[in-house]
Amino acid sequence: MILTAAPILLVDVAGSILMIVFSFLCIGHVMKLKRGNPTNLIWTYLLWVCTALAAFAVSRSIGHILKQALLVSGHRQAWSGIAAYSGSVNTFMLTIVAAITLFFERIWNIYGGIMKDQQALRETHDKLVYVNQNLERLVEKRTEALARSEKQMAQADRLASIGQLSAGIAHEINNPLGIILGYTQLLMRGEEKENQRYDDLKTIEKHVRNCKAIVEDLLNFARSSKTKKEMIHIPETVDEILDFIRQHSKLGDVAIDHDYDAEMPSILADEKKIKQVLINLVMNARHAVGTDGTISVMTRYDVGEDQIAITVADTGYGIEEKNLSRIFDPFFTTKSTGEGTGLGLSVSYGIIKNHGGDIDVESAPGQGSRFTIRLPAATREKKRT
Amino acid sequence: MDRLIRHRWIARGAWRSGSAFAVVPAAFLICPAVAAATQGHGGREGLYVHQLSHVFFCISMGILIYWLRTRNLTREPGWRYIGIGAMLFCLWSADAFIVHLLEEQTAIIDVQRIDNWRIRLEAVDGWGWVRPFYYLAKLDHLFCVPALIFFYMGLRRLMSDAAVSGETAS
Repeated sequence: MILTAAPILLVDVAGSILMIVFSFLCIGHVMKLKRGNPTNLIWTYLLWVCTALAAFAVSRSIGHILKQALLVSGHRQAWSGIAAYSGSVNTFMLTIVAAITLFFERIWNIYGGIMKDQQALRETHDKLVYVNQNLERLVEKRTEALARSEKQMAQADRLASIGQLSAGIAHEINNPLGIILGYTQLLMRGEEKENQRYDDLKTIEKHVRNCKAIVEDLLNFARSSKTKKEMIHIPETVDEILDFIRQHSKLGDVAIDHDYDAEMPSILADEKKIKQVLINLVMNARHAVGTDGTISVMTRYDVGEDQIAITVADTGYGIEEKNLSRIFDPFFTTKSTGEGTGLGLSVSYGIIKNHGGDIDVESAPGQGSRFTIRLPAATREKKRT
Repeated sequence: MDRLIRHRWIARGAWRSGSAFAVVPAAFLICPAVAAATQGHGGREGLYVHQLSHVFFCISMGILIYWLRTRNLTREPGWRYIGIGAMLFCLWSADAFIVHLLEEQTAIIDVQRIDNWRIRLEAVDGWGWVRPFYYLAKLDHLFCVPALIFFYMGLRRLMSDAAVSGETAS
């Protein structure tokens, strides 16, 4: 079978030239990659592979071109002398390319380790730079937080002690008050309504009832009163108390705004007591703003902490710093005698603590006050149970 | 007699020093034989070594493809091109191995160069189909050149990807 050798010759020579060209183009690209990131081990590996491939392409292609040139020009003998050297170099280079290729996995693993270390180093460096640049501010912030926390803890301790004392006294007073009220009502039954003695007994009954209300408030503050918890939706509760206040309190030019979080979950709480707290706060705000101002009620849900926050803010005259640490103390009031017993915020504090929550205040004279209640969301309660 | 005494003295000294190593070379000296330390490399060794290098190359490219696939690197266009290049190199190596096998290791086919532009292919009885197969297989550059082109394309893509991530100088 006689066939033309032209295609073989053509493909051999052209292919050999193309191999050299493309192998060097590959080296050119890898060199650019390497210049861009000299520490990248993968580019180094690819440079080894491409260099070995180029050396193989040169050795093989020169051999092939030389072979065809010598055979076509009739120098078969000359080729016979060169063939062994060409073939040997070719074999050697082929083995080198294959050997370098096998380093891929090891190189890739080392590269992965280096990248991980680099990432960790970069993150640490960024953190260090941030801390270094913001050290003073961070220390100041932490110190403030610590001082605030210490103050809160001291206040909580103090209120707990007062609460314990109040609870003891309230329990002791509650029983005699009950007896006095009972006997007073018994005596009233035997008296004519138009009688002076009846009026006197009525006065005793009224004051005993006032005393009992105060005792009840003290028990609330001391968290000794029982709660009847149910699922409640705070925005609805707030709406109800705001309607109540609008109807029963002369607001004049005082505006009441509200802003509710759309994602607000329900909470497990005693609705009556929560309403009592909200009425206390809104009425205090009403008293603080005077005849003209704004009261804002906002609700927020903190997904991360899984708790809700209710904020009652006013644009009133604010609280002096010396009074801030005492506002939750029982019987502490800045109102004139007869305007308040000084139990409203104490009772609110006790009720919120009894619900596993917290209440705090931010205020500055002339800038209004901002009371924030934080209560656990029902989802957290569910998790606990 | 004097020489014998001296030899005994040397042997005793070596033994006394506890060095048995002195005895081993002495044994070689006592029983000399033809040296066979190096092996000749004439004949067809060169061809076998070349063929083994093709097998080694084919396996290493196959392993590279396997690693690229197991690390999901073939999802990235750059490494995918390099994987295709490696596969074509595998095919080229197998093709070159077969050509050498047919041409030089077996007597199945006989290739004669009639002149510069014609060749005669003769096959043993029953192996006539090998002739066109050999002719096509001889065009092995049709595998290795595209393989290098795919390597080139892969590197170019890796370079453009690196440029996007701000890694290259250009």
